[in-house]
Amino acid sequence: MNRSLVILLGALALGAAVFAGSYFISQRACLMTRSADDLSWLRDEFHLSDAEMARVRQLHEGYMPQCAKMCALLAAKRGEVQAALAGSTNITAEAQKKLTELGELRAQCQAQMLQHFITVSQAMPPEQGQRYLAEMKQLTLGSHEEIESRMAGSDHAGHEHGTN
Amino acid sequence: MKENMNPADTKFHEVLRAARPMPSLPPRFQENVWRRIEDAEASAKSGSWLDAFAALVLRPRFAYATVATLVLAGVLLGTYQGAQTAKQNEQARYVALVAPNPLR
Repeated sequence: MNRSLVILLGALALGAAVFAGSYFISQRACLMTRSADDLSWLRDEFHLSDAEMARVRQLHEGYMPQCAKMCALLAAKRGEVQAALAGSTNITAEAQKKLTELGELRAQCQAQMLQHFITVSQAMPPEQGQRYLAEMKQLTLGSHEEIESRMAGSDHAGHEHGTN
Repeated sequence: MKENMNPADTKFHEVLRAARPMPSLPPRFQENVWRRIEDAEASAKSGSWLDAFAALVLRPRFAYATVATLVLAGVLLGTYQGAQTAKQNEQARYVALVAPNPLR
């Protein structure tokens, strides 16, 4: 092969290695130097002061035990639903009752969660608080809305009810 | 000079020419010659371009500047990407804490 071509290909490979090396090292360094605090995202994303952050942390620590309690209740109710459905080929009255209770409990949990988001948003500067609330609604309830709208969209295609 | 030639010499040359007959040229001889000349010139040109570029790459000032630029670009892009990934991870960690999957 031509000597100049070998030199150019070698230089290209060396340049690619230098770029890739510095890219990966700096990326890893950036990831490793980030805070391990669970609330660091709030501080960075919504530019909270120390006082605001302290208030948000207090609210967060107050909410966490309630959230854990609700999660335990939900897990227990899901177990009851599964037990009621086990071995049956149709929905019994007992299973229907458990499903309704599960739905109510889930709605209660979501209401509590939304209330927490609202309280936290009020501890932030108004503009940041609105942004936080909108983002949290999108992140937590957005998936439901997406599924429901998808189901509504497929209503015409899959759920054709007779009109005659 | 030719006019000064001895008539005997002229006759001698004619005999000599007749003794070495010129072979007939192959078909499209001239065209093929020109094509080979052009090909040789073209390869010489591309070779010189590659050589010039290789010589530029091997110059220390150019090499240091290129390495410095690549390192800087890699560090900037890596830091930006790292910050984005870290932000996404932190957001996911917070959301998973305050809104565990069963609540969503």
